[in-house]
Amino acid sequence: MANGTIAFDTLTTSDSKNTNTEKSIDTSYIFNGVAKFWVHFNGTGTIATQDSFNQSALTDNGTGEYTSTFSNNMANDDYSTQVTGTESGSDGVSSQIGTLQRNGDYSTSQVESNGYHANNNADADNQRMMVNVLGDLA
Amino acid sequence: MTKIETPEFQGTHLWDRLCWAKEKLEGKQSDYRVVWEDPDAPEECAKVTVPDPNWMACALQGGILPPVEVYWALAEDEAKPDFKKHTRGYLLHNTKPIDAMTEEQAIEYLIMKDIPQRVWRDYEKANRPRLVICKKDQLPSTRVWRNAWKIDENVNKSQKVA
Repeated sequence: MANGTIAFDTLTTSDSKNTNTEKSIDTSYIFNGVAKFWVHFNGTGTIATQDSFNQSALTDNGTGEYTSTFSNNMANDDYSTQVTGTESGSDGVSSQIGTLQRNGDYSTSQVESNGYHANNNADADNQRMMVNVLGDLA
Repeated sequence: MTKIETPEFQGTHLWDRLCWAKEKLEGKQSDYRVVWEDPDAPEECAKVTVPDPNWMACALQGGILPPVEVYWALAEDEAKPDFKKHTRGYLLHNTKPIDAMTEEQAIEYLIMKDIPQRVWRDYEKANRPRLVICKKDQLPSTRVWRNAWKIDENVNKSQKVA
């Protein structure tokens, strides 16, 4: 069977298995809630992207500081960003969650992320950095 | 392996093209790196830009990415003091996509898209190198003193870059 396209503006369910009350949702709500950008990269050594969506390049700005640039710009710079990451403990076995923050200027073309040790507020490279962006596309 | 044909994408939202590429194309991890220094922040260390593998696959495939001038136009809009949101996003979607590039051409495109113009414009006139394209193995293998990395002023293809 050939793949095709289904275009629809509204999803409606009879919800017969639960309330039996019809419910509808505008599909634009679904699209608006989808992450518009995500990346998982290794921030140590020669940094490398493991996987991503809507990223054109990743820049290593120095210890614990990274910039991801978008292929499709965001519409404005009021989007929401989530950043998280992990690094191996000094014993080489345990993991610790680094506290990470969004850093730098907000821009429609790029997002900066920053990893640091929560205990001493020192910048730190993270083996696993993960950044998501929610918002509107240009 | 049969090359996948890119659909006619002019007029298709760039986001939808990226979705298509994510599903159809295999990511390409490039060995190229761009090492650069910001002339407006000479005290900062050298930065290293790495092309995204999915983006590189789009560049090599052709017919997906918009011309780099589109990004410049959006950057000009954003630089205006009264900027609130993009009103010319259609440039990303309606401008004719660029043809397939070689990996080297893609790196040049990426420099013009993702690295500030003040770095690469007239860079050959600078009194010291501020942008170098190199291979991954020309970079230091460890991140010791990462925040002190600078481009080697005597850089050439046979030696370390930073």
